[in-house]
Amino acid sequence: MRRVEDYGVLLDAVRGVRWPARRKVTGALPGAHQSRMRGIAPEFAEYRPYRQGDDPRRLDWRVLARTDRAYLRLSTDRSILATMLVVDASASMAYPPETLDKWQCARRLAIALAAVAYGERDPVGAIVNTERGMLRLGARTRRGVVGELARMLDHVHPGGAPALGNAARAAMTSGRVVVITDFLGDAEALLAVAREHTAAGGEVHAVHILAREELDPPARAVTAVDPEDDEVARTLAPATREEYLSSFAAWREGLARDWRAAGATHTAVAADEPVARAVRRIVAPAFAGAAP
Amino acid sequence: MTFLAPGFLLAALAAGAVMVALHLIARDRPPRAPLPTARFVPARAEQAVTRALRPADPLLLVVRVLVIALACLAFARPVVEPSKRPVARVVAVDLSRGVGDAAEARDSALALLEPGDALIVFDSSARAVSGAARDSLAGVATSPARGSISAALIVAKQAAVQLGERADSVELVLVSPLATEELDAATAAIRATWHGRLRLVTVAARPDSAVGRLEVQAGADDPIVVAATLLGRSFAGADPGRVPAAAAPAARIVRRRPVAADSLLANAGAVVVWWPEDPAALGWPARTNPDTVGAVIAGDAVVVASFARMVAPPAGQSTVIARWVDGSPAAIERSLGAGCVREVAIEVDPVGDLSLRAEMRRLVARLAEPCGGTRLLEPIGDAERAMLAGGGPLLSSRAIAVPAGEVPPAVPWLLGAALLLALAEPLARMRRGRS
Repeated sequence: MRRVEDYGVLLDAVRGVRWPARRKVTGALPGAHQSRMRGIAPEFAEYRPYRQGDDPRRLDWRVLARTDRAYLRLSTDRSILATMLVVDASASMAYPPETLDKWQCARRLAIALAAVAYGERDPVGAIVNTERGMLRLGARTRRGVVGELARMLDHVHPGGAPALGNAARAAMTSGRVVVITDFLGDAEALLAVAREHTAAGGEVHAVHILAREELDPPARAVTAVDPEDDEVARTLAPATREEYLSSFAAWREGLARDWRAAGATHTAVAADEPVARAVRRIVAPAFAGAAP
Repeated sequence: MTFLAPGFLLAALAAGAVMVALHLIARDRPPRAPLPTARFVPARAEQAVTRALRPADPLLLVVRVLVIALACLAFARPVVEPSKRPVARVVAVDLSRGVGDAAEARDSALALLEPGDALIVFDSSARAVSGAARDSLAGVATSPARGSISAALIVAKQAAVQLGERADSVELVLVSPLATEELDAATAAIRATWHGRLRLVTVAARPDSAVGRLEVQAGADDPIVVAATLLGRSFAGADPGRVPAAAAPAARIVRRRPVAADSLLANAGAVVVWWPEDPAALGWPARTNPDTVGAVIAGDAVVVASFARMVAPPAGQSTVIARWVDGSPAAIERSLGAGCVREVAIEVDPVGDLSLRAEMRRLVARLAEPCGGTRLLEPIGDAERAMLAGGGPLLSSRAIAVPAGEVPPAVPWLLGAALLLALAEPLARMRRGRS
């Protein structure tokens, strides 16, 4: 069994990475993200005229004494942003079968993103949908939550074809939802859930895991079988390779377009890409969406 | 083991090579491999050409190659050849009427025979004699039938086919007096089908009795005696008991009922012609409507005259040797020992010149011919001997082809095995599909 120390190199690589919220958050607890609430924090924001009903203790007595006008001193509050990671553990993630590159990449991405969020003092949790049901780790800020997440993911072996939409819906109570998947399952249902969450002010990050063998399949002829559906068995030969590549690229482009149109970020990550670099692309909206 | 159609072996090699190549370069579904994005592969491509250093399915390949090999092996018609001796003989011994001494011919044939050889006995027909029956040849005499070398050659060729399986070469030996009458129009053509030389062993022929002495026992003024006298063949009108055995005639015409001496003479091979003055003496049934007839025919002898016809020939097995002009029998022949007795119901009017006419002399000559008709027992000429003997080496057993349609015993087994494997081939293919 691995311990969180085994991920030391990865955690060191993402230490110091900031993951600001894409918009003001509505949380009540103080945190690192700018809140929509204006409170009494020391950081000055602006003055507002006193209205009936305001707390007289928030009057700026110096301005009142100097100008004989009643103003309230407002400051910008900062709040936490609960982050929930939704990790796809379907059979399509167990690819290539020899190395499980896609699953390894998804697992390490989840741990790294959890560490980044934990570094922002945000509550971090995860939901993993497996063929035997959902594994849930509630969002929390206590110490060791990253290790708990790592242990939970270490025990998962991807398989079956569980629906990811239900897991995503269960995660929508958190402000930030990160969906780590290959979108080869119920992508439409997942997108609908994401659209609802962003419309409600939530933040959704779609992380699209791609295996190098999917992007550049071997040249020799094989009968490609969908691991989640044995009925889909088609011959991938040199004659059909170009058509496959173009069809796959068009699907990826459409998928990214749909998710961005839904208000989410979409980041495609190749399974052989360094995880720390992928994390930086995910948490920095300016770079999100760059195709591998 | 040898093959009657070895070309099929080359065909089997070629077909096997093609089958192996097809298994190495097969247009088939390539091996299955998981690919999560398989849904983006176009569904129209069902097959693809794959090449491999090892056959795609060794078991299926073995089954298919075995089917081809066994089928081609069956079509190649394998024949297992037993150990062969250098030469086998087919000895055809002549026991026809042309043979002077049957013992000489028999001994000559048996001297040539070795175990495993074939013996054929022939006169007008031929038959193969098995080894167990050869001992019975000791008591066999010549037959009164004319010999037929054509019949002997046909049966000899059939026997040679069987002998060819046990010998490298087959020699045909013909033990015969080689009389002229033993050849016919088909002999040369039949001989030509035997593609090897033929060994001729000539035995003594029977003395030609066709021109032997004719004896007529009748009065001096008998018209038959007159005709016989004019025929030029010696005759005597003495009593039969006085004729010495050494001077036995080849033919005897009697006008009275034959006696024991006549039967002895016929039994010894001569011809006894019972030609009574009154045909009623023959004992033939009387005709219901006695009439006259204008002519009588015997071979090439035609006598045109008015003959009274009072009797009809009896029923039973006999040979007609003369007929009235309307086709009814006028004279018949019955075999008796080595000879025969002829009964002639032709009443010759002693008044007139009928006995002086040439056609009457020919009629007498025909009726006094040896039993069985004209005999041509003089030896064949050199050209005929050369035709029969032929030249070149002995007939090779390989030249004796197995008749078309005859199936070597291994062929059905090979075809059956090929059929069974062909039925097992789909099972091997299903097993491959499941794997």
